[in-house]
Amino acid sequence: MADLGAISLWIALALAAYAAIGSVVGKTRDSTVLVDSSRNAIYLLVLVLLVATLSLIVSFINHDFEVAYVAAHSELAMPDRFTWVAYYAGNEGSLLFISFCLSVMSALAIWLAPVKVRDTLPYTAAVLMVILAFFLSVTSVMANPFDKLPFVPLDGDGINPLLTHFGMFFHPPALMAGLIATSIPFAFAMGSLIGGKTGDEWVDTGRVWGIVSWGLLAVGLLLGSWWAYTILGWGGFWFWDPVENAAFMPWLGLTAFVHSIMVQKRRGMFRMWNIVLINISFGLALYGMFMNRGGAVPSVHSFGSSSLGWVFLLFLGLGILVPFVIFFWRYPLLKSAQNLDSMLSREAAFLVNNLLLLAIAFVTLWGTVYPLISKLFTGVELTVARPFYDQVNGPLMLGLIFLMGVGPLLPWRRATPASVRKALLPPGMAAATTVLILIAMGVWQEYALIAFGLAAAVTAGIFTEWYRGTRSRQRSSGDIYPLAFLRLIAANRPRYGGYIVHLSIVMVALGVVGTTFFSTQRDVVLAPGERVTVADYEIRYMGTTAIPKSNRTDFISTVEVYRDGNLLDTIEPNRSFYPSFNMASTRAAIRSTPVEDLFVVPSENLEDGSVGFRILVNPLMWWMWVAGPVLVLGTVVSLWPQRVRQTAPVLAPGRVPARPRPNVG
Amino acid sequence: MNISTHQRISLLTGILLLLFALAGTGGIAFAQGTGDDQTGYDQKEALSIDRSIMCPVCPAETIDQAQVEISRQMRAVVREMLSNGATREEILDFFVARYGQGILAAPPKSGANLLVWVLPIAGVLAALAGAYLIIKSMSSRSTQVAGPNIPTASPTEADLEPFLEAVDRDLALSGDSGPAGHPPSAASYDSGRASNQANNGVDKLREQETNRGDDLEQNG
Repeated sequence: MADLGAISLWIALALAAYAAIGSVVGKTRDSTVLVDSSRNAIYLLVLVLLVATLSLIVSFINHDFEVAYVAAHSELAMPDRFTWVAYYAGNEGSLLFISFCLSVMSALAIWLAPVKVRDTLPYTAAVLMVILAFFLSVTSVMANPFDKLPFVPLDGDGINPLLTHFGMFFHPPALMAGLIATSIPFAFAMGSLIGGKTGDEWVDTGRVWGIVSWGLLAVGLLLGSWWAYTILGWGGFWFWDPVENAAFMPWLGLTAFVHSIMVQKRRGMFRMWNIVLINISFGLALYGMFMNRGGAVPSVHSFGSSSLGWVFLLFLGLGILVPFVIFFWRYPLLKSAQNLDSMLSREAAFLVNNLLLLAIAFVTLWGTVYPLISKLFTGVELTVARPFYDQVNGPLMLGLIFLMGVGPLLPWRRATPASVRKALLPPGMAAATTVLILIAMGVWQEYALIAFGLAAAVTAGIFTEWYRGTRSRQRSSGDIYPLAFLRLIAANRPRYGGYIVHLSIVMVALGVVGTTFFSTQRDVVLAPGERVTVADYEIRYMGTTAIPKSNRTDFISTVEVYRDGNLLDTIEPNRSFYPSFNMASTRAAIRSTPVEDLFVVPSENLEDGSVGFRILVNPLMWWMWVAGPVLVLGTVVSLWPQRVRQTAPVLAPGRVPARPRPNVG
Repeated sequence: MNISTHQRISLLTGILLLLFALAGTGGIAFAQGTGDDQTGYDQKEALSIDRSIMCPVCPAETIDQAQVEISRQMRAVVREMLSNGATREEILDFFVARYGQGILAAPPKSGANLLVWVLPIAGVLAALAGAYLIIKSMSSRSTQVAGPNIPTASPTEADLEPFLEAVDRDLALSGDSGPAGHPPSAASYDSGRASNQANNGVDKLREQETNRGDDLEQNG
């Protein structure tokens, strides 16, 4: 099986190279045959890489330990369901996974491409295939998952215990797919630039794929936070380490992009800016893959050491440089169809939103590279970690939430001060009410007050919009309210889907603010029968049972939770020790309610049966995890294709406004 | 829309938000009891110091996160020093003297390291100022170049937005063979004044509406 996989990797590389060259040559020489055959090569690639993937998976299931990758990431005792996780647990497999994702998405993007981008599609295809060829050549030459050991070990090393978590089935693939999906909007932008189409042809397709990539990254980030919260045993969900940041930055870039692309879709503005944004996002995504490849990487220093690191660094450099060269080459043609009319307009709000998002991305990047700079110039070893990001990015994020409340209520083009006052009245009142109530309840932290006030404002703004729209629909059509509401959302999906996503961001913000400012933490050692009081909970440790398993020992503690003297719940936090990894992994017991999480995790098991517990009360954490499904819903709504263009762009006179468009995505 | 509806909306959203906020934040006021319950030091302060000190052996984790022995000992040192009346600065200095600057989770805001803090803030301010200038120059240019009699730049066109949207919705409705019997205007926005022109095409509508854009403002 492994040989089949290795051969299909080489075939895939040849096909990608052929498709890249064939598309460009066919396009420049006007050879339809060559362009068509290149496109078919792209479709065929999916099949070939599917064979490679399947042969790796079959090698895992057959415990074919002659294959080095299988031996390194599985063992006989590993349940079959973890084969999927083992597939991308290491460098080689994750590169194959990334290549496979890219080929599937490329084929889909090209197959679904609307008529208006057909002209430059060969260039788009070539850009995609160059990226794919890079990944495939690295996979087959430097990190081949089908490489064999000179001998056949009796058993493999086993999978990293931290990866045996439900979240791991989706978190790494979502992130990797999201990072590589950035290539698609990037390739459409580059394709139209190379082909000399500098107008708005690529915008719809770019937007759809930008949102796909954005959504995948968002889901990946949330799942990763959830995984960290439940398994890492310190009670937090985000700690700004270099690898997390690497996935967060492209998401920020794409967030800017999916907003600003709407301005081009509707107003024909920001043409250069959108190209710049997608270039930046793509560069950050490459950087993210550079940081992430090979699983959990502790810090920047450990990358350059492997030869793979330098190859990636080179591609990263080219991936940032070349698009900007193309951009400056076509710069004279990229003229906006419109000018910004007013500071008080949705366009202006989007522009500021873009700047804040990029600012957060670059603060994050700056924090990541500053230790290197400091070491280089002053020789002092420094750390830039959570306190820095909290203090610098915190206010910027509050600024973003503010814009999230204001921006959607401003009209395109230009607003009058009176209409702005009117539109902002309900959110303003909601914010003021919330802040006053919180102060009355004894909350004094300025940041928290501002954040809750802004959260209330955004929510109020969205509900006001929904209410107004639903009411007018109900009046004009006679539909009952729920139906009118659904029709309203269906009628302008990008807009109302966006509102749903905004709500989910508010929920995430609630979780972040709640845990940052109001969490209570205790570290205690309890003997069986002992009690401790944390916030208004009383925790009683009953005892621990040790259950030996094939590859680990589970220490399951029984803990009773009381409030006001009443038994609320009995929970079982768990700590497993893996002798082969000399490593413990914990499963926190979390009693979650919308008000607060009670989080109990055993951090050490002592000889005498007593246990060191970390106990946290994390207010509002629940909202953060509920935000995930809401975010997905909003993303799907805003992506759902509409047969007829719903929102007419505000165009210059003489251009045809509303016309049917084919299904995209 | 008259004022009273407006007030109703505000009231409604206010109530919704109240519920939303109360559901969420109800526990907070009570969860805030920090206190020095029989420990002799401020636990909040101890935790915040933990979060400012990196674990020396584990990559990218502070001592409040790391579960290894040394970070456990360091947490104990922090608490012991706090109980003996040491200040935050003294505790941090204590660790810096032993492990070097790198033990701090963020560089101090002084000396050469001020750069790491100041540069992002300066960058953000510069970018915002730049954006302000760009928007300003663009918006003045657009009013100079295009006078009020050129339709695209007419300030009232912004107010047409709801109508254009209404028209688009109607076009969409007629396209998807929706419930029979509904006139195409069934989905139009608020006043429904666009209904007659709904199928006459956007351009015609735009011509007609440009002149009376002012009364349409309330639809935004």
